[in-house]
Amino acid sequence: MQLNEQQRLRLAAATLSLLGVAGVKPAAAQEPAAPEKPWTFDTGLLLYKEGNGRVQAIEPVLNASFNLGGERLLSAGLVFDSLSGASPNGAAPAHTAQTFSSPSGGGQTYTTAAGKTPLDDTFHDQRVAANLGYQFPLSHDSKLGLGLRGSSEYDFTSFGANAHYSLDLNQKNTTLGAGVSFEYDQVRPVGGAPQPLSHMGAGGGGGDDEEGGSSKNKNLVDLLLGVTQVLDSKSLLQLNYSLGLSSGYQTDPYKVVSVVDANANPLYYLYESRPDKRTKHALYAEYKRFAFDRDVLDFSYRFFTDSWGINAHTLSLSYRWNFSEAFHLQPSLRFYRQNAADFYHFALFSGEDAGLRYASGDPRLGAFTGLTGGLQFGQQLRNGDSWNVRLEYYKQRGQSSDIPAQAAAAYSGLPTAPDMSAVILSMGYRFNW
Amino acid sequence: MNETRSVRIEPGGDGFVARFTAMASPCEVLVDGADRTELRRLGELAAAEVWRIEQHWSRYLPGNIVDRINRAQGAAITVDAETARFLDYAQQLHELSEGLFDVTSGVLRRAWRFDGSDRVPTPSQIEALLPLVGWQKLHWQSPQLQMPAGMEIDFGGIGKEYAVDRACALLAAQTSHAVLVNCGGDLAASGPRAQGQDWRVGIDSGLGASSSLIRLRQGGVATSGDAHRFLLKDGQRYPHILNPRTGWPVPGGPRSVTVAGSSCTEAGVLSTLAMLQGEQAEHFLQQFSGDFQVIW
Repeated sequence: MQLNEQQRLRLAAATLSLLGVAGVKPAAAQEPAAPEKPWTFDTGLLLYKEGNGRVQAIEPVLNASFNLGGERLLSAGLVFDSLSGASPNGAAPAHTAQTFSSPSGGGQTYTTAAGKTPLDDTFHDQRVAANLGYQFPLSHDSKLGLGLRGSSEYDFTSFGANAHYSLDLNQKNTTLGAGVSFEYDQVRPVGGAPQPLSHMGAGGGGGDDEEGGSSKNKNLVDLLLGVTQVLDSKSLLQLNYSLGLSSGYQTDPYKVVSVVDANANPLYYLYESRPDKRTKHALYAEYKRFAFDRDVLDFSYRFFTDSWGINAHTLSLSYRWNFSEAFHLQPSLRFYRQNAADFYHFALFSGEDAGLRYASGDPRLGAFTGLTGGLQFGQQLRNGDSWNVRLEYYKQRGQSSDIPAQAAAAYSGLPTAPDMSAVILSMGYRFNW
Repeated sequence: MNETRSVRIEPGGDGFVARFTAMASPCEVLVDGADRTELRRLGELAAAEVWRIEQHWSRYLPGNIVDRINRAQGAAITVDAETARFLDYAQQLHELSEGLFDVTSGVLRRAWRFDGSDRVPTPSQIEALLPLVGWQKLHWQSPQLQMPAGMEIDFGGIGKEYAVDRACALLAAQTSHAVLVNCGGDLAASGPRAQGQDWRVGIDSGLGASSSLIRLRQGGVATSGDAHRFLLKDGQRYPHILNPRTGWPVPGGPRSVTVAGSSCTEAGVLSTLAMLQGEQAEHFLQQFSGDFQVIW
């Protein structure tokens, strides 16, 4: 490199414009304050719609964070959910029409046609959730985050608190994290909590007897340990272990399980019953890699196991293609598979219900496989704002399991492993202020 | 950043000197003809300014602008006016030097540890880091900077010289006496001393006895190269100034280059560029009419 006279002059001019700024003020007059635009707002809208007129939901979200400077961040969020539609009530399909009492009581009933999966179509709910957080550095390389959250819907209230500590080591190439969270939930079932495994009367709701009651609660404690390691300049690996302990009322007061004869005819329905203790373990590994100095490949695997006998595997893959400076396209694929809980029964054979402590026909505790495909498109605007829109399609395939052997032949023509599908559209806009 | 924040007035030179520590260097302020009270006032002003810039641009201080830029993960960051001027400057230097001066080259330090040992990184280690170096990969449109995730900026290469110039200009506006600010051999003088005398400053090149005396009337002096920061392997000396285009130091260059310029910042740029010329360092400096001293 030769520095010719012209370049020398350019250097002198550039240096002069850097230093020769008129009016040199003392330091105190221009102490760097908190960032110019300390607020960051994340706004979003999520639309969820299951196939065949089942559950649909609209969920607007607003999150705001305020940068206090010095890496201290105050945040607050608000979510509003509106759900409606029909969801499986746990009973098995039958060759005849079936009538169930509505959880709203008052002698109201709903009827499921022969050969159909019983759905409770009285399902309608609105939920409001809010959270508050504060994150601050404890030292040059460690941070603490504290949070509070609460949510409310007409029959359910939840409060939670959490703390998360992270420590950077090895020149920020390694980050260790530990977190703990507590949650208290209270459910006030419409018409009172039914006594577990009691008969659902064709006309009446649950009873307010000793076992039942108007309000039930549960406690949850979650512990999380994690490590994030930068592997090289292009990739990082994250490993997490989480332990969840819950105790209290974990039964779904609106779900039943059918008791059937050899012809798959329902004799009666029992309100479901779940253990009041549950221990969950999850292991999570995520690998992120920058590709072509531009894109990000993300691969993760999660293994879940709990004391109810559910084992689940989740595999996720996404590729963020930053095809121009401002735009990106991100296809993603997620695979999920779980086996049935120990006390899951598609239906109970007559007499099998005697002496049972726990039983549920909730398909969410049954065996199924889910596949989600998604595509996100986003733009980073010149002014620092960004937006994205994501469309996902979820397909769930049930696996027949825990069908009473004596009635297996009679169920052969009925939907014992119904598929479910859902479309999820979400939009987000992020801006600083 | 565990430096004690104090300004001491000590005997030195022909009278008194205000001393403080900043940017890991001993700093001193000389005010020609000022009494102790004025020297203390000006010394504290200079120290406050250098400490302010140190905090503002330190890459070790969580939450400051450099930290926010380096953690933005590809998001655009709006920077303050002073940082914007500095980024404008960095952009011009990058152009002017054909990429030899690059504020994104700091990531190379992950592979290079200049601790006097023989731990020279492997070519593949450097190869892996080079995609994260290059000012041209940034999108800078004042006051917004967008940097690809994984890259880092670092004003360490020229921040100290800038702070010295700022402090000197600040004091010059506050007193009629001539002022000299010196931080670890990077220095700036507001004008000649009384009766037109030169400032005379000893520059410790870190090479033992060969401490040299620099004469300066006005402007700045900066030194690049450091006797204590190098690697030595198979008889080959690797100085700590890296060529951002290759990720490697330029071999065969001088141990230290001291250059005078119209400001400390300009002198710093020239001395850094000279180090990157390797064997051609002296030839490079001869192209223009500035004082310089090259220690091989």
